[in-house]
Amino acid sequence: MVPLLSARAGETVLIRKITGKDEVRQHLAELGFTVNTMVTVVSDLGGNMILEVKDSRVALGREMAMRIMY
Amino acid sequence: MEIKIALAGNPNCGKTTLFNELTGSTQYVGNWPGVTVEKKDGRLKGHKDVIIQDLPGIYSLSPYTLEEKVSRRYLVQDRPDVILNIIDGTNIERNLYLTTQLIEVGIPVVVAINMMDLVRKNKDQIDFEKLSKELGAPIYQISALKGEGCIEAAEAAMEVALAHKRGHAEVEEHPHVFMGSVEHSLAHIEESIAGMVPDESLRWYAIKVFERDKEILDELKLPADLAKHLDEHVQDCEREMDDDAESIITNQRYEYITRIVDLSVVKNAPKHSLTLSDRIDQVVTNRILALPIFVAIMTLMYYISVTTIGGWATDWVNDVFFGEIVTDAATGFMESIAAPDWLSGLVVDGIIGGVGTVLGFVPQILLIFFFMSLLEDSGYMARVAFIMDRIFRRFGLSGKSFIPILIGTGCGVPAVMAARTIESPRDRRMTIMLSTFIPCSAKTVIIGMITAIFFPDSVFMAPAMYFLGIAVIVLSGIAFKKTSFFAGEPAPFVMELPAYHIPALKGVLIHMWERARGFIIKAGTIIFTVCVIIWFLQTFNFSLEVVEDVENSMLAYFGNMFAWIFAPIGLGDWKNTVAVISAFMAKEQAIGTLAVLQGVADPDNDVAVMAGISAMFTPIAAFSYMILNLFDPPCLVAMATIYREMDSKKWAYLAIGYQIFLGYAMAFVCYNLGSWAFYGAAFGITQIISCVLIALALYFICRPAAPYEKETLASHQA
Repeated sequence: MVPLLSARAGETVLIRKITGKDEVRQHLAELGFTVNTMVTVVSDLGGNMILEVKDSRVALGREMAMRIMY
Repeated sequence: MEIKIALAGNPNCGKTTLFNELTGSTQYVGNWPGVTVEKKDGRLKGHKDVIIQDLPGIYSLSPYTLEEKVSRRYLVQDRPDVILNIIDGTNIERNLYLTTQLIEVGIPVVVAINMMDLVRKNKDQIDFEKLSKELGAPIYQISALKGEGCIEAAEAAMEVALAHKRGHAEVEEHPHVFMGSVEHSLAHIEESIAGMVPDESLRWYAIKVFERDKEILDELKLPADLAKHLDEHVQDCEREMDDDAESIITNQRYEYITRIVDLSVVKNAPKHSLTLSDRIDQVVTNRILALPIFVAIMTLMYYISVTTIGGWATDWVNDVFFGEIVTDAATGFMESIAAPDWLSGLVVDGIIGGVGTVLGFVPQILLIFFFMSLLEDSGYMARVAFIMDRIFRRFGLSGKSFIPILIGTGCGVPAVMAARTIESPRDRRMTIMLSTFIPCSAKTVIIGMITAIFFPDSVFMAPAMYFLGIAVIVLSGIAFKKTSFFAGEPAPFVMELPAYHIPALKGVLIHMWERARGFIIKAGTIIFTVCVIIWFLQTFNFSLEVVEDVENSMLAYFGNMFAWIFAPIGLGDWKNTVAVISAFMAKEQAIGTLAVLQGVADPDNDVAVMAGISAMFTPIAAFSYMILNLFDPPCLVAMATIYREMDSKKWAYLAIGYQIFLGYAMAFVCYNLGSWAFYGAAFGITQIISCVLIALALYFICRPAAPYEKETLASHQA
């Protein structure tokens, strides 16, 4: 498993694990990031990412993108 | 019978647009998540006894940010009669996550699927009947933007509430969200806490107990043995599912939603395909191009609105329209009715001079608001927060702090309130302290005026003041973060981005007008009043006799009392002093007061206001005057907002104190070093103090940070 940071723009991957504090994981889940969900990397700005998940576009800071593993 | 309909839904799904449509009001609608930070009430058009309540957007009822807490507390504790749940039709799956939770609360729910115009355009198929049956809630199709189906949905919600109040409602079965041992545990918890909570909310409380929601457990005060017994049940369930309670609930909820969405929604576009909006993002959030594009856009905006087109329009309005046409007409009228000198003085110098000069800046303000609305409505502004996050984070601020700053280009009051969307109290306080440093529309008047009179050849003066504002915010942020009050990592950046769309001209124009209207109303009220007072004080002495020489007026007396404070920054003349002080009522007054006072400098009043003001300052003093007014505390209303939003006397005083110090110090340094460098003043004590101030600032910016504990990142198997 590797963090989402290493995925390239345009790539679609399957989330296998999300790490971090409960509160943070909960918020990520509310936005649609759960295990076994597909996400597409739209854009990568030095680790800050725009991601497509469940048909919405969510911008995540680097430390958040680091917590999502695929 | 009075009925309360609460509008609930995800951020940026169109709640406020619908609210405006239903109530005929004109609340501020923005195209980024988190515009509404307070509950707002209005009455449904045609139904006086129906109250519509617009709530801040939320993703779920497990609160993460302050405004999510506001919404949850309101829904669960104050209990509206019905919830009108707005769903973004282009993104049903994610939006239903909240819907399933709202249904659990037990208040009747009516679902309105919004953005149907886009759904049709995308050629997506939605089986509303099936979806409605699954959820056990009626569904209506609307397009809040186009005004389609809105009133019908609200009236349906009203009927549901009425039926419920009279006890006629059929009891809908809750959707079968949870399965297996989870459902079993929930049923067990329900049995144990029945009677302690409202019957209709039993399911919601049971789930919160299962999730070990702290706020709810504190509220319920379960007997210790029961709490322990229930927790053992939850632990059994966690062991069986090999996951923690919250994740179990989240996963089953999403599994349920995926099931019903698969049954009822068919998307036209293939899954995970990149849209045009995504392609635009790949350019404007590109690692190399992102910043240059942003800087170019903002520079161009200020160049057009303040320096060129807006500047020309303002010159014309001030010099020709108010300076000649209105003034001549008023003077002529006063002569024709043989008005006493003092009356024509009041009208021509006081009112036309003061209020007219401020109103002269309306073209510039309109243009700035026009471009801001355009950028915001298109969806670009939400990206700016994302782009700035990378830079702000180096200085210990989150990109989320940039949204209040952007709003601050319009007015500091909503800017300070917008800081509520920032999760960490530390970052929120800091953002409140700093967001008024960006030039608001009133401060733009000062920039426009000083640039036009003293630096007419400078293309970059106006955009430079905007970027100086950002620089002051960033540098202050760095210095603050190094103190023990603010030390710590900023909260990680998470923000949903709206898809780009071509802004609707009508919407942009309405938006622009709403903001500009506030500016014009202020000119007619506060500015008008202050101008009349200033005129009165400068015309009379303490015996209420008209003075021959303005130096003997009451205003000169008061001004001279305080002039020594401003002498070290080149503003020792009592007129400047009065202007600075009056600017605390409203920042435009910094110009309005000068305009009233310049009438005095030239009793024949045959020069235009601008020329009159140019005689009052040397260029460097004018620059100092501008810097002081841009960076000292904002107007009284904004200060009161800072006081309220800080919710702490200590922090409010610290914020205002910092702004006083910073504004004065910056003006001091600019004036004294500027006089020495460009205007041949000797290097003396004030220049030495300036250097000390700069050194002090550098020290606070560059010194090592106060130590703080890194938040531990406990890793959980998910």
